[in-house]
Amino acid sequence: MIDASERAAMEETLRAAIAGADGNAKLDEVLHQLGWLELLAAEPADAIEIVFGALGATGGAATALDDVLVSALGREPGADIAVLLPRFGSWDPPGRIDANAILAQSLATARAATASEVLVACGTASEPWLLAIPMPVAEVRAVRGIDPDAGYHELRVEGSAAGAIRLDPAAWQSAIALGRRAVAHQMAGASRAMLALARGHALERVQFGRPIARFQAVRHRLADALVAVEALEATLTAAREEPTPDTAALAKAAAGRTARTVAAHCQQVLAGIGFTAEHPFHRFLKRTMALEGLFGSADAIVLDVGKRLLAARNVPTLIEL
Amino acid sequence: MQDSRSATPLAGYRAELHRWLDAHSAELAPRYSPPGTLDDHIAQMQRVKRLLFEAGWMQFGWPERVGGRGGSPMLRTELGAALAGRDLTDPGLFSLIEVLAPTLIDFAPEGLAAEVVPRLLSGAELWCQGFSEPDSGSDLASLRCRAVPEGDAGTASTWVINGQKVWTSLAQYSDRCVLLARTGPADSKHRGITAFFVDMDTPGISVAPLEMINGEHEFAEVFFDDVAVPAERMLGELNGGWAVAMSILPYERSSCFWQRIAYLYRRLQKLVEVAPDDDRTAEAVGNAFLQLHALRARSRATQHRLAAGGTLGAETSIDKVLVATAEQTTYDAARRVLSGIVEMDDSVAGELWRSEYLYSRAATIYGGTLEVQRNIIARRLLELGSDE
Repeated sequence: MIDASERAAMEETLRAAIAGADGNAKLDEVLHQLGWLELLAAEPADAIEIVFGALGATGGAATALDDVLVSALGREPGADIAVLLPRFGSWDPPGRIDANAILAQSLATARAATASEVLVACGTASEPWLLAIPMPVAEVRAVRGIDPDAGYHELRVEGSAAGAIRLDPAAWQSAIALGRRAVAHQMAGASRAMLALARGHALERVQFGRPIARFQAVRHRLADALVAVEALEATLTAAREEPTPDTAALAKAAAGRTARTVAAHCQQVLAGIGFTAEHPFHRFLKRTMALEGLFGSADAIVLDVGKRLLAARNVPTLIEL
Repeated sequence: MQDSRSATPLAGYRAELHRWLDAHSAELAPRYSPPGTLDDHIAQMQRVKRLLFEAGWMQFGWPERVGGRGGSPMLRTELGAALAGRDLTDPGLFSLIEVLAPTLIDFAPEGLAAEVVPRLLSGAELWCQGFSEPDSGSDLASLRCRAVPEGDAGTASTWVINGQKVWTSLAQYSDRCVLLARTGPADSKHRGITAFFVDMDTPGISVAPLEMINGEHEFAEVFFDDVAVPAERMLGELNGGWAVAMSILPYERSSCFWQRIAYLYRRLQKLVEVAPDDDRTAEAVGNAFLQLHALRARSRATQHRLAAGGTLGAETSIDKVLVATAEQTTYDAARRVLSGIVEMDDSVAGELWRSEYLYSRAATIYGGTLEVQRNIIARRLLELGSDE
C-alpha cells in the first residue's frame, strides 16, 4: 500500500497532467508515462483509487478501464488490447455464444478504435466464455450519446467462436467487481467536483443583498450532497478492505445514488449558470449519467441485491469493526 | 451473500463473545413473552448486565481505575452490538451506558467514578441524563434549570437546584442523574452551565413519565424543587458543563450508533424472513440494505479513527444523518412490504413493528435534529460561513 504523502504527490501530478493533456489519446499517453500499468500490477487497489478518482475529479477521459478489466480477466494489459463492456445497464457477459458462433454488440471505450484485439466475454455470468478477437472487427462506431467527450464506441462482432475458452465464473465476477469499483471511484471524484462547483458558486453569487450560501435552503442542499459523497466514499473504503463482489456492487449502487443526489442539489444551487455550456457543471453531470449505466445502474443493482437477500432469507453484515 | 470473514484484531474477541452468548443463551433469553412492557425490558436489561458483569464481559473496554478490564472501547461496542443483534436488550436503552459512564470517568471527582461506574455496568443501578428542557431542545445552551450555591460559589458545600427537565430517558427507573444546570447569568448560554451527578432519591425531585406516540413511557419530565446537591457531586469545572455535555458526542456517535446499526440489521433480517418474494419487496429490501451498508461502512471508519487516537467532531454529523435516514428507510420498507403490519395487525409481530415504526420517526429528531446536523455540516465541514 502506498503511503499518504506518496499518494498525495501522485494525485497532484496526475491531476496536473490530466489538466494539461490535450485530448483522450494524450491522456492515455500521460497515464502510461506516469507508470499506470506498473502501479496497476503492483498495487491494484491504490492504482484504481488514485487514477479513477483523478479522472472523475478532473473530468478527464481515458481508456484505463480496459486495463483494469484485461488484467482482471488474466491477460496482460496494454494499449493494444481492449475489452467489450457489458451492455449499458447490465453486468452480464455482452456476447451470445451458440454452437460455434458468437454474436456480440455492446459498448467499448475509445481504445476499441485503435487496439489490435478485443476481449469479448460471452455466455452467462454463471457460464462465461472468453474470446480474443483480432481487430478490425465487423463494425466499430463512435457513440455520441450524452457524453461525447468520453469516447464511447459501439462494437458489433459476429463470427466463429473458435478459440473461445471457458472462463471461471469467479474471474468474471471479480472483473465486474473491479470495474464497478473503478467506475464508482470516478463517480465519487465527479460528485466531489460538482459539489465544489456549487459551493464556490453559493459563496460568490449574491442575491437579495447577500451570498446565497447564507440561505438555509441552499446550505441544506449542499450538506445533503456532502453526506451522500461521504457515504459513497465509505462504501469504497469498505470495498477495498473487504474486497468481495457484494461490497463492490454496493459501492457502485451507492455511486449511482450519490451522483444523482449531488447532481440534483448542485444543479439547483448553480441555477442559471449551471444550465449553460460555458460552466463546467454539465460535463460532470453528463459523465456520471453515462457511468451510471456501466456494470449496472443503482436501481438494477439494488433490485438484484434485494432478490438475493430474499432468496437466502438472510441479511449478512458484509463488514465488521 | 455471506458475512465478512476477515481476521480483524477484534475478530478473536468477537468469536469468543459469541461462543459465550451461545452457551448461555437460555439463561440470557428474555423471561417475558414478547412484546413485553417497558418494565419487562428494563428488568431484562439489568439481568443481562448482571450476568455479563459476573462473567467479566461488561468490564471489557472500560478503564481499570473504575473496575474495568481495559482495552479498546470497541470491545464494548462489540458487546452492545452482539446483544442488539440477538434481541437480548434494547440497544437504545443499553447504549445509554455509553453516554453516562464516560462522563463520570472523565469528570467526576476521584473516588466517585470508581464507586459508581461498576454499579451502572453491573445492572445494580440505572442512570439518566437531564439535559433537555421544555424551552431548550435543539438550543440546549439556553437551558434554565438553575443551580445556586449555599453561600459563595467557590466554597459552598451544597448547591440547590430548581427547574424542569424533559425527554429524560428512564428517569422513573433511575438511581442517579447527570444533570446540566445554569450556574452563570441567565444569558450566559454555554459559558454558564455546570454538570452535577444527582441522586434521584434526593428530596424535591419528582418524575412524571410521558406517554409516547407508541404508547411507551420511556421518557419523563423531571422537576427539581429546592434539591440540595453536595458540591463534591459537581462534574468538571464550575461553568464547565458544556464541555461535559460535548464530551459525550464521540461515544454517542460511535459505539451507540454501531449498536443501533446491529439492531437495524436484525430488523431487516426479520423482515426478509417473512417478506413476500417479489420485485417490489426486493427493491425495498435492497434499498434499505444499501443504506445500512453505507452507514455501517461510515461508522466503522469513524470508530477506527477514534480508536487510533483521533478526536471526533463535526464530521460525525454525517454519521448522525446516515443513521437517522437508514433507520427510517428500514421501517418504511417494513411498512411497505408487510402491508397492514403497522396499521392493522394485532399479533405480537404487528405490535412490535408498529411500536418500532412509530419510534423510528424520532430518529431525525433526537440527539440533534437533522436540521441542526445540516447546519453543522454546512458551517463546519463545507465552510459556508455564518448563515446570519
